[in-house]
Amino acid sequence: MHRREEYYSRFMLVLRDLHKCFGSIVAVADLTLEVNTGEVFGLLGPNGAGKSTTIAMITGLLTPDSGTVDVLGLGSPTSAAVRMHLGLAPQEITLYADLTARENLLFYARLYGVVNARARVEELLALVELEARGNDRLATYSGGMKRRLNFAAALVHDPKLLLLDEPTAGVDPQSRNRILDLVRQLASEGKTIIYTTHYMEEAAKICDRVGIVDGGRMLDVGTVAQLVTRHGGQSSVAIERAGVQTRVLTNDPVAEVTRQFAIGGVTSVRVEEPDLEGVFLALTGRSLRE
Amino acid sequence: MKAILFIAQKDLRLLLRDKGEVFFTFFFPVLLAIFFGFVFGGEGESSKIDLALVVESDSVLAAGMARDLEADESFQVTRFPSRDAGIHSVRVGKSTAVVILPAAMQDGLGGLFSGDGIPIDAVVDPAHRAEAGLIQGKLNELAFRQFPKLLGDSTQSAKLFSSARTKLAEAKNLTPANRLAATGLIAAGEMFTKSLSTSERNTQADNSTAQQADSASSEESAWSPIAITMTELPPRTGRPRSSFDITVPQGAVWGLAGCISAFATAIVVERARGTLDRLRLAPITRMQMLAGKGIACFVTAMSVQALLIAMAVICFASSIAQPFMLMISCVASAFAFSGIAMMVAGLCRTEAQANGAGRGVILLLAMIGGGTIPVFLMPPFLKTMSFASPFRWAVTAMEGPFWRDTSLNEQLTPLLVLCVIGVAGFLIGTRAMGRSALRK
Repeated sequence: MHRREEYYSRFMLVLRDLHKCFGSIVAVADLTLEVNTGEVFGLLGPNGAGKSTTIAMITGLLTPDSGTVDVLGLGSPTSAAVRMHLGLAPQEITLYADLTARENLLFYARLYGVVNARARVEELLALVELEARGNDRLATYSGGMKRRLNFAAALVHDPKLLLLDEPTAGVDPQSRNRILDLVRQLASEGKTIIYTTHYMEEAAKICDRVGIVDGGRMLDVGTVAQLVTRHGGQSSVAIERAGVQTRVLTNDPVAEVTRQFAIGGVTSVRVEEPDLEGVFLALTGRSLRE
Repeated sequence: MKAILFIAQKDLRLLLRDKGEVFFTFFFPVLLAIFFGFVFGGEGESSKIDLALVVESDSVLAAGMARDLEADESFQVTRFPSRDAGIHSVRVGKSTAVVILPAAMQDGLGGLFSGDGIPIDAVVDPAHRAEAGLIQGKLNELAFRQFPKLLGDSTQSAKLFSSARTKLAEAKNLTPANRLAATGLIAAGEMFTKSLSTSERNTQADNSTAQQADSASSEESAWSPIAITMTELPPRTGRPRSSFDITVPQGAVWGLAGCISAFATAIVVERARGTLDRLRLAPITRMQMLAGKGIACFVTAMSVQALLIAMAVICFASSIAQPFMLMISCVASAFAFSGIAMMVAGLCRTEAQANGAGRGVILLLAMIGGGTIPVFLMPPFLKTMSFASPFRWAVTAMEGPFWRDTSLNEQLTPLLVLCVIGVAGFLIGTRAMGRSALRK
């Protein structure tokens, strides 16, 4: 019993051999994953990789064909008690266009039995910087504002595990930055966050660990540095001499640059470090944006 | 329970913010009820009056009046063998009034000049007071028409004048002026019958009758050739008091159809746009979620029915035969149609299905259920088909306590059918929604 408690104090979410098919299409194949308490975990993959299906199974909106989902050691999210700890900001704007921002948040706050719901709503509107537009109907909001409110609705009951499914899809840079700031802020407050995206730079910026997903399979999991080390390949050093550019692949770019300068005649040099794009390319044989 | 009420409150708020849905749920049914109320009201005035006729007298006068009544273009006359049968036909709404030519009619002829008049009984539906005036006028006219025929028969007329003189002598409540006038009239009548040839009599008698009728109506004397005893049935007759009694339940049909469409579509839209998923993620059960939506639909269905009934009572002076039973009927209808809304929501996968097929089926069911043509005006095959429509049962349940004044036993059948429809709708809807969630 003691070991179990210890295990679940370490892991917020444990997925075991999760499998889901839609007809002949395998959406998620034998996914096993442990998400640490308090970490920001990124699910990185192209559209159709199985990220949203995985999220739907974690929240209990989809029943897996096989495998188990365990949240906080409390068991499956089909139980209302478990769902109390989950907050979801889906990819779609799942709010009522004909209600105001305040009414939307208040409705969900009451549904979750939040004590002092009105105060919580004001707190969240301030968090997503929408206090001034709180009494306007959602239908009048820009895409970015809707995204922020969608995000706020996921936080209304102060969940321990927050699932953000492509929260920056199709938003303006200002709203995107605000959302990323919010994720970092929530992470610093100790929330566990699962963040799905197909923007590798976002994953690299905010995620403690990243899982690379494609074709329903988890190809590898680790910190960005670990993944790059394992799959990113060598750094590239581009050297230009008298208008002619040459490229050298190396595991030690500093040593290579020093060596090139020692040879002489270098007019410019540029070092390209391997990144998640390279990792994805190495793992799947294609680009993340294809 | 609070969660259910929050969902209901949210759904009602969303409904009220959608101007189109508000119009089709609340105002469209009211407009329909008013429109058809006036349309049907207009038709009623121009059509023949259904008249029940009971001939208890074997007199020539009674036979002649019966014949003339049947030939009159203003009436659709049905003969009944007894007074009770005739009154029953009015009570159940088959006839506007019953005219009874009583056995005393023959004897009463003798009292024609004594101030008693020829006795005729009539019982009318209080909903048709306007027609009652017309019936009374027609009876007077037809009675006058009989006199020349009677007077042309020398035996009959001799009996008549002899009897009249006796009655006049016995009459104690006549003023001297009236007595003198009646004596003169009898004498004139005797001279009149003797002097006229049979061929002239018919022609001249019509004119004379008209003149007499005119003078009879213009004088304010107590004398009248016939004594019509006009009585009204008690108000709760099981007959609509106005066309609005019929069109209000019809309006309710469209209101309920609007509720189904609005809420079924709203749920499908919620599913399509993902808000249903957010609800499913909340710590509530699927039954609670559906109950919340069902309550919102129920409240709307009750509101539209209440609005229509209030309009009928306040604006069109309808009176409710059984208010408590009417409330139960409205509750049963609202429950049944909330269930149907859940079922439609569960079975329709997309907004297009809900808007197209869903509304189409609802429209068809509403039409065959009495939404366009009142059930009692439907041809037999359509009447039979209408039993397949839940709208038919809603109309029947509402009409019963509204104006038909049906017994509890008669009312139980539509109420039970509506309850069964409601339960079945909720069960099918819950099951279908569960399946659609798993299929997602």
